[in-house]
Order: sequence, then structure tokens, then C-alpha cells
Amino acid sequence: MAHDKAKSAGVRIAQMTSPASAALGRFAQRGLPLSGVVIGILLIIGPFCATIVRSMLAWDASGPHVSLSNFVGILTSPHFYQAAGNTLICSASAALLSTGLGFALAWIVSRTDVPGRGWFEILNLVPFFLSPYVGAISWLYLAAPHSGILPNLVKDAFGITLDFLPVYGLPGVIGVLTLFYTPYVYLFVVAPLRQMDAALEDAARVHGATFWFTLRHITIPLLMPALLSGALIVFVTSAGLFDIPLALASPKGIRTMPTEVYGLVQFPSDLGRAAAFGVIVMTATVALAILQRRYLSRRRFDTVSGKGYRPRIVALRAGGRSAAVLVELIYITLGVVLPVVAILMVSLSGLWTGRFNPAALTLKNFDYVLFNYSLTQQAIWNSLALALVGATIGVAISFLQAYYIHRGTSRWRGLIDGILSVPLGIPGIILGLGYLILAIRTPLYSTLTIILIAYIARFFPMATRTISSMLLAINPELEQSARANGASWLQTMRYILLPLLLPAIIAAWLLLFVIFIRELGATILLYAQGTETISVALVLLSERSAGYVAALAVIQLVMLLAAFVLFRMTRASLVQS
Amino acid sequence: MTNTMTTLRRSLVLSVASAVAVTCALTWTSRAAFAQEAPAIAAAATAEEKARVGKLIDDAKKEGELVYWDTVIQPETHDALAAAFRKAYGLAAAFKVTYNLQGTAALATRVEQELAAGKVTMDIASVASLPWMYERVQKGDVAQYASPAYAKYTKAFENGLGVDGYFAFNGAYIFVPMWNAQKLDFKGKSWKDVIGAVPEGRISVGDAGKSLTYLATYHGHAQVLDDAFFKALAGMKPSFLMRSEQIAQRLVTGEDLMAFSAMPTRAYQNNQKGAQLKFLLPEEGVVLLPQSMIILAKAPHPAAARLWIDFVLSEQGQDIIVKGEAMMSGRDGYKSPLPDYAPGIDTLKLVKVDWKGVSTEMLKDIRGAWAKIFAP
Repeated sequence: MAHDKAKSAGVRIAQMTSPASAALGRFAQRGLPLSGVVIGILLIIGPFCATIVRSMLAWDASGPHVSLSNFVGILTSPHFYQAAGNTLICSASAALLSTGLGFALAWIVSRTDVPGRGWFEILNLVPFFLSPYVGAISWLYLAAPHSGILPNLVKDAFGITLDFLPVYGLPGVIGVLTLFYTPYVYLFVVAPLRQMDAALEDAARVHGATFWFTLRHITIPLLMPALLSGALIVFVTSAGLFDIPLALASPKGIRTMPTEVYGLVQFPSDLGRAAAFGVIVMTATVALAILQRRYLSRRRFDTVSGKGYRPRIVALRAGGRSAAVLVELIYITLGVVLPVVAILMVSLSGLWTGRFNPAALTLKNFDYVLFNYSLTQQAIWNSLALALVGATIGVAISFLQAYYIHRGTSRWRGLIDGILSVPLGIPGIILGLGYLILAIRTPLYSTLTIILIAYIARFFPMATRTISSMLLAINPELEQSARANGASWLQTMRYILLPLLLPAIIAAWLLLFVIFIRELGATILLYAQGTETISVALVLLSERSAGYVAALAVIQLVMLLAAFVLFRMTRASLVQS
Repeated sequence: MTNTMTTLRRSLVLSVASAVAVTCALTWTSRAAFAQEAPAIAAAATAEEKARVGKLIDDAKKEGELVYWDTVIQPETHDALAAAFRKAYGLAAAFKVTYNLQGTAALATRVEQELAAGKVTMDIASVASLPWMYERVQKGDVAQYASPAYAKYTKAFENGLGVDGYFAFNGAYIFVPMWNAQKLDFKGKSWKDVIGAVPEGRISVGDAGKSLTYLATYHGHAQVLDDAFFKALAGMKPSFLMRSEQIAQRLVTGEDLMAFSAMPTRAYQNNQKGAQLKFLLPEEGVVLLPQSMIILAKAPHPAAARLWIDFVLSEQGQDIIVKGEAMMSGRDGYKSPLPDYAPGIDTLKLVKVDWKGVSTEMLKDIRGAWAKIFAP
């Protein structure tokens, strides 16, 4: 049927084809996908090289010279090891906990008969669309040991003090990271879980294996690629996250890698050491990504076979069902309901004292950030512009790259795919540092354009992967059929491939839009007067007034949730892609 | 016929020329009249000063904008300053006063980056870090400007709190112990009384590891307090905070019971909203941090920047800043309208610090010493 459609489209199109457009098509077929790849590689190489070069330069009275002194300075500083150690603890713990929780949530909605699975499936994804920084500050409002809403409620109701709550410090950072990065793992795991052939699990059961034994020796090993990919993303993203440690760890004097890099760029700044720090981190994260690829490439993880099968739904007993519902409800309460309620309460209070006073409700904070403070007004426009333009350009580049990798003929495609995945392993603040070093003496310095470039460079692999996953599912015969019937490459793209890819393209666009709206790591070193984004404004306001920051957080939340609703409405959810 | 045409042509040319001349004259007259109506020109004492201000106003109008970065002044106070500034110089509402509130280190970083990039976007940097200011002047990064307002800041220059021809401070502040009177009854009189006044973990300290002003304050405190004191303070397991607003906010919510380095300005602003923050002027003395404005040498709007300096240092400008921010004016003979929060500088016991002798390299060493004690 699809072939007939392609054939008839090809015949119809061929009637409109001229020799000139055919030549253009031939050029476009080779040139356009390649241009996407070249742009991607340049976006990576530029800041990468700038960071390496800057890390190896030192200045003395005679001028700059090549030196390893920046690396020596970093590696002999106890601060480096403190920061690296804390970052490792946070990222590894967050990756481990998110993987466990993400797997549990995915298993509950995809393999059990728990009631309300449809709702849980939607709600599990909501934290993915929220800003982690807003999550961190909302948890401060909720659980700060002496002024949080929850400790105050418990104290007022039962006279019990909860001053042991560890929201400040590493436990707080790990907790918030886990809550907001669990959906990453969930997204990686839920589709393979749904598609998994239950025959292996059934065979184990038939041979007397217990539920836990089957889970440990059959299900989890089969899901290892998805679990490892999710864990790696959480690990790397957590390691590079600037905002949560800034809110929860810095007040306790706890150093982390991103806050240390930020500190090194601040006056009296030491860009050389910051760059050396960046090179060390990039090397570590890229090495980790290579190890993961190698590990996965050596093993077979067939979860989908050619035989007809149906994923087995586990009928939970009453106790198990209650436990599953409880896990879901706790996650959604901690990751969505409580943070949203907290920022709403603070945003509606004139003077935040740690207790919500319904008698003193006010919209003053919203009035201020929306109508009376030029910085927040500018920041909202900048974020919208960056997200709209950035997502569009990013998706265009990603489509071309995905096409080159999965439809191209070059024998270097595997290597290119690997290179184009590198930004996934580079923390945002390190990439921002690279672009700062690269752009500081160019007209791009302190412009929105450099922020836009950094955003696209950091996140295009995510869009490429989203589009790739659907491109792989489309049989190339459809395009070949159109071409055989005389359609040019451009026409085949326009009438065959792009319409089929549209759901994935929209999903990728919305994904980038959401990420760009809440991004901070790459922005914090690149923003300037007039190029502040909402996330930057949140950081600046959080130092001034709880009410203002909460009001702006609510505005950001509305924008992100609107994107989430759109995301669901396109029927191209990440789960499906 | 030809003569008639020639006469007609001449008449037409003459008419057009007259119309243009009249229009130009009217425009010039109205602009001059409008400029003369500006209160700042009317208030100028001499014809020379009137001409100088008039010229600056004309140039500022052409520039159309002023960009200044500050580390203390809140947006509400800025709005009042900008409105009064436009009125004083007869600038239209379209004249843009762009302002950015940042931490001291972030502001200094931005200035250094813009200078390195050769792309200066800000006209005025307003910072309370005299060592940094002196270095900028020395390196030629600051525009020379002999504001007539400096005549009223002789004491500031005498005390090394400004450089005549470059900058004078537009408002000073101090960091002192502060507490929430609704949650703590504190009767201390000395810095030392803070030790043990609240349980461990319930006190905050300005993060000198990241902030220039807290670092400068620590340097000053070290003149009158010994290492044992700071070690005892570190033993109270303080939180390290960057912004004075944040420090006060945590007192208001009760997260902290005491702040070691809080700004009376923030007590004033929060108390206006119903909080009850109190502070102490310790008997050992306080470190005065003069917030000073410099015009960057490559400022894109130099005329507007000069007018801004004149205005902020004027009595009217000082009134707005002191009433909005409870900062201490350095203007000779200025009487504070908020003596409880912004007492006259001559009534304070000040810790003497030789700011000129402090270089950026020394600041790094001081930061290292601070980090050694507090180990954040």
C-alpha cells in the first residue's frame, strides 16, 4: 500500500521534474546531508580546540607561551579533588537512583496491570519538562530544615522539629537530581520493556525461577543497553549541572565541578585553569561514553524477535498493586505536586516567611516580573526566541545528520555518528566555557547568537537520535520507489520522507524547545547585558527575592507545561519515538 | 515672459529658503528653550556650567541611552533614579537607562571580559571594591572626568575613598551582625559576642571565596579580629552566602538566626514589609565599603555617563539612594534621612584599611587565608 502511494507520488512528481531541478536534486542529495554533518562537527571542534589551546597557554612578562602549568595547578589543588569527588558522588548516586526508579516506573506502567497506568504514563514524564533549578529552589521552600513549608507544618501540627532534613548539601543535590532525571531513564527503558518478547521470561518461570531471579538474570540484562544509556545520560548531565549545586551545595561551602569552573571564570578569573579543568572533565566523560559504546557493541541484546509475541502483563497481587500505586504516587507527589504547590505559594506571598498566609495573597510578584522589571521581560523574550529559532535550526541540522548516517553511503558513517554524539558527554558549562574562549575576541561575544550556537552544539545529538529512531523504522524502499519512478531527491524528501518523519521531527523540535527554555549551564558564562534568559534571571532573582523568583518560575513552568501538552497532542511522544 | 518666469523662480526659491530658515530657527530656538528649561541647566551657577551641561545634554540625546551596572541598588531605587535623572536633564521618556544588578565579582568579571574583547557595552560600573577601582584607574581603563559634584566630596578624597577626577563614592555600606528579633533576643555589643550566640548551622557568613566585597570586609576585619576569632566562627558551621538580599531573606524565614555579615540596607527594606530585623554596630568598628562609580574609558555613551555621575552625586540623587537603599552618603554635610539604618559616616567607628595598598594578587592571597580558616 505504502509502495503504491510512493509509486503514484513518484509518477505525479516526475511529470513536474525538469533537467535543472534534477541536477539541483543530485547536488542537494549529496551536499545537504553532508553540510549538516560538517556544521555539527564544526560546532563541536570549535569550542573543543579553543578549550584545549587555552588550557595549554600561560602568560608571563614576555607574553603567552605553551605550558602545562594550568594542569599542574589544577591537579595539585585539593579543591580539584574535593570538587571532582563531590561531583562523582552526586552524579553516580543520581545515576544509580534514577536508573532504579526509572526502571521501576517503566516496569509498572508497561508490564503490570496497575490501575491508572495511562495517567501514570503521562505524569511520570512531567518532571522531564520542569526546570531542575526550579525543582531545587522549590525543594528549598519545601524542606529547608528551619524554614521549609513541610517542617513548619509538622512543627505546627505535632510540635516535632525536622531540622535534620538534609536538603542543603550532597543528599539534597542527589535527591533533586534523582527526582528530575528519573524520566530520562524511564524514557530509555519503557519502549524496550514494552517490545520485549516475554518468551525468555516465561522459560525462566517454567523452570522454577522466582520473580526476582527472572528480573535479575533475564529482564535487566536484556534491558542493559537502555539502562546504561539512560544511566550515562543522567551521570553526564548531573556532572555538568550548575544550577542544583549552586542552590543546594554552595551555601554549605561544598565544591562541585561546575561551580568550581564558574568560580574560576569569575574575577580574579583564571581562564587557563578553568580550561584545564574543562579538558580533564571532557576527557573523562568522552572516555566514559566510548567505554559504554564498546561494552554494548560486544554483546547481543535482542529483545524483539521475528516471531509473533505479546508482551506479558504481570497480574499483580493486591499487595503488589498497592505498592506499585504507592511508588507512583510518591514519585509524582515529590517530583511534580509538591514543587509546583511550593512555588505557587511563594509566588503569591508578598514577604515569604516560610509559612503560607492565605489572607495575604498578592499578585505583586507577577506584576513585577511581567510588567515592571525590564530584565525579566527581556529574559522571557530571549528564551522564547532562543527556543523557537534554536529548536528549528537544531532540528534541521539533526535531520540532515540523521539522513547522512542512516541513508548515506560513506564508510565513515559509524565514526561520524560517534563524533556527532560527543556533545552528549560534554557538560553544558564546559561547552559554554569553550564558546566563551572562542568568541571573546570576536563580534559574537556577548550576543544572543553565541548562546544560540552553544545551545545547538550542546543538544543537537538529542534531536538527531529522536529523528534517527524513526528514520530507522522507515523502510528505504519507499524512497527508492519514488526515485525509481522519477522523483528527484528533494521531491522524495518533500513528499515521502518528511511527511513520514513529521511526528519525530515535531517531537525533536519540542524536545529542543523545552531544553532551551530551561537551559542554564551553557548560558551562565555566555550571557551579557540584554541577553539574559529566564534561567539566568531565575539565578539573579533567587539572590534577591523569593517571591520574584517563584513568580518567574511559575511563568517558566507554564511555558514548559504548554510544550508538554503540545508534545502529547502531536501523538509523537518520546515513548513512541 | 522670461523675466516674469525668472522673478517667479526667484520668489519660489526665496520662499522655500525662508521657510527652511524659519523652520531651522524655530527648531533651534525650541531645542535651546527646551534645553534651557531643564532644571539642571537652570540650577547651574555659571554661564560656563550652563553651556557645559547643555552640551552634555545635547550629546546625551544623540547617544540615546545609558548603560550602568551596579552591585547594590535595587530595581525600584533605580527606577526612581532614572525618572528623576531624565527630568533633571530634560531627557525624553524614550531615553533609555539600562541597568543591571550583579554581584561584585560578576561585575568585575564582565568589565575585564569586555575590555579584553575590546567590546565595551557598559558606560558605568558601580562597585564597592576600592582595590579593583584603583587598579582600573592605574591601567587607564577609567575615563577622566572632573565632575563639579566632586567639590562636595572633599572628605571622601581626603580619606582615600575616591580619586579626584575619576571617582567618588555614591553611597557606602557596611556588613554587620544581624538577627531576626522575632526569633532571637540578642544583646551583644561586639563581634565576639556573635560566637556561640546561636546553635551551629544557624548562622550565615558572606562567601569571601566568591565575593569581592566580603573578601574586602574580611581583610578589614582581620585588622581588629584575630585568627582564633575566625576559627571559632568557622566552628559554628555557617552557611556561605553571596548576596546580602539572600542573607536577609534567610533571617526573615528563620532558616538562619544570625547573620555575621549583613547589610543594614536589607534590614531597612525587609522591615518596610513587616520583618523585624535588627543589627549591631560592633564596638571594635566596622569596615566601610564605598560604592563608587567609574566611567569606562571606552564607554559607548560618555556624555550620558557624565550626566549620570553628576546627578547621582547631587543632593537629589543622594536623597533617592539613601531613602531607597539606606546607604551612607559621602557628600559633605549631608544629613541622613534614615539615621537608624544609614547613620552619618562620621558617627561610625571605622576600621582603617589601606585600600591603595591592596592589589589583585594580594586579594588572591587574602582569599586563600580565608579559605584556609573556613575551608568551604
